Amino acid sequence: MARVTFRNVWKKYGEFAAVKDLNIDCPDGSFLSILGPSGCGKSSTMRMVAGLEHISAGDILFDDRRINDLAPKDRDVAMVFENYALYPHKSVFENMANPLKLRGQEGARIKDRVTQAAKLLEIGHLLERRPQELSGGQKQRVAIGRAIVREPKLFLFDEPIAHLDAKLRAHMRGEIKHMQRTLGTTMVYVTHDQLEAMSMADQIAVMHEGELQQLGSPREVYNKPVNAWVAGFVGEPAMNFLTCEITNAGGKLMLTHPDFALALKPEQMKCLNGAGTAATVRMGVRPDALAISMTRPAEPAITGKVFVNELLGGDMIVEVELADARIRVKTAPEFAGAPGEACYVTVNRDKWHAFDAVTGKAFF
Amino acid sequence: MASRDVVRYETPLTRGFRWFSAVFIALYLVWTLLPIFVMFVSSFKDLLEAFKIPAVGDWSGIGVFFDFTPTLKHYRDLFLNLDFSRYMANSLVAAGGSAVISVILGSMAAYSLSRIDFKGKSDLFFWIISTRMAPVVAVMVPLYAIFRSLDLVGTLPGLILAYTTFNLPFAIWILKGFFDNVPYAIEEAQMVDGATRFQAFMAILPLVAPGIGAFIVLCILFAWNDFLFAAIIGSGGAKTLPVATRELVQPQNIQWGSIMAAGVVTTLPMMLLGLVIRRYLVTGLTMGAVKE
Repeated sequence: MARVTFRNVWKKYGEFAAVKDLNIDCPDGSFLSILGPSGCGKSSTMRMVAGLEHISAGDILFDDRRINDLAPKDRDVAMVFENYALYPHKSVFENMANPLKLRGQEGARIKDRVTQAAKLLEIGHLLERRPQELSGGQKQRVAIGRAIVREPKLFLFDEPIAHLDAKLRAHMRGEIKHMQRTLGTTMVYVTHDQLEAMSMADQIAVMHEGELQQLGSPREVYNKPVNAWVAGFVGEPAMNFLTCEITNAGGKLMLTHPDFALALKPEQMKCLNGAGTAATVRMGVRPDALAISMTRPAEPAITGKVFVNELLGGDMIVEVELADARIRVKTAPEFAGAPGEACYVTVNRDKWHAFDAVTGKAFF
Repeated sequence: MASRDVVRYETPLTRGFRWFSAVFIALYLVWTLLPIFVMFVSSFKDLLEAFKIPAVGDWSGIGVFFDFTPTLKHYRDLFLNLDFSRYMANSLVAAGGSAVISVILGSMAAYSLSRIDFKGKSDLFFWIISTRMAPVVAVMVPLYAIFRSLDLVGTLPGLILAYTTFNLPFAIWILKGFFDNVPYAIEEAQMVDGATRFQAFMAILPLVAPGIGAFIVLCILFAWNDFLFAAIIGSGGAKTLPVATRELVQPQNIQWGSIMAAGVVTTLPMMLLGLVIRRYLVTGLTMGAVKE
């Protein structure tokens, strides 16, 4: 078990910087998820930790020990690859025994450890099979098994469940999280799926174009995104963005949009200080912070037309057409509006965000 | 992996083409197999019987070919009087030695070329294969001069070196393609598991086994059937089967019986090799191991 620290880490491929000045501290025994779209530098980051890529600048430390110049085999990490990377010519048992064998463990102990890990992952009956005889989920368990037999300092999981079907993925999310808690081993988990990061991690590092956007707990990242990009990336269905103006109506600030106006709360006004009045801001509001009804409510509401309804079983997502934009609203499946009908959307005044129209930085 | 049904529908054209193919294949088989058959049968015949041939157009006389008392005297002659066991050993050592050295050096070079990016890599790769572009005859004289000044002419090591010179570029070329198809993740997993780069390389060798098998066959075939190098560089001390067979043709006496027997002795081992190694040539080991 180890604490992992990234200190001003850069990764450059020629002129192109894949990772820019990364600083993360991942405490011993915690679950860090690195989240971002493809090409954001998350895999490069993980490969630098594993030792499969050189660190261009900066340091990575395990428990205050600089590991930049150690070969992968001397770092005592275990990695699960996106494509499982099982050895096709070896049986499941030999695959899982490989790390122990390479470290010169004796046969009896190897057998013991592999059997134990196989039992934990419920693949005990597959030990004699070859990888090509396994299903995707089974291969993935074997890959995890190969990682856990050794009790390494650190687990590195590189999108390990991205190729599984949705149902199995949901199941494995829970299992991986449970396994990490049980073993208490520090985990770095790379994913592009915000749901995986949200549901499993203690800490999420959101990356975009090589830069760390935000480091925080899933709750923080979801509720207090630092900029419009993070706000838009995290959360499903995605946040709605509307370009609005801040106007001053007799000392009270109002958020105005061609379709509606919303009075700011005092604490929201405080956050906007310095932005002045008549400034353009991007309003961000999540679909679940909106309410929709077919009758005009008492409070100020946005008027629009139902564009399409998507029933998701327990929820319904309604896409509402405004004059110049579309927004998505999460509502109960009983919602009866038909496409084309007029509807009214109200905003939860505590649960919306304002971002700088130019830089995307969050005011609140 | 989805298996695919090849759907075909009969038309007069395809039917005609099928007949044509059948006839063509039959003729082709006769064309290729008949000389081998004649060689094989003649090696067991006495010289007089071997030259019994029916008149042109006399198809009923075809039985003459099979009308003989089998004798092993040519084979006895070959191995007891003509020292063919030594020539066979020479051939085996030269072909096998060159194959082994080429595989060892070739797989390491191919792995490096496949995995590591460096300046001038494509030029180097092209240079390696360009050494095979000139015909062997063109470089024979300088090669002979070099070998003679190194005292390698007429020795087995010299012959092995000569074959390796020509097989190595080929090995690198073939094996690089196979290494390119092995996903990086497998050796990266090995290295994270605790292997050194070299151990990781050794671990993926089984995955390029089809390539190594194919190459060994081609390399051995090249050396085994080679006449030019063997006659010039190996002449004297490292005489191989083709050269020894050629020497059975003497100005006053062509020993047809022994030549036929030598032909059989030279051909059989390669046929056996082909049968043994066929398994490796067709197995795709990486299938299903890595999710694409």
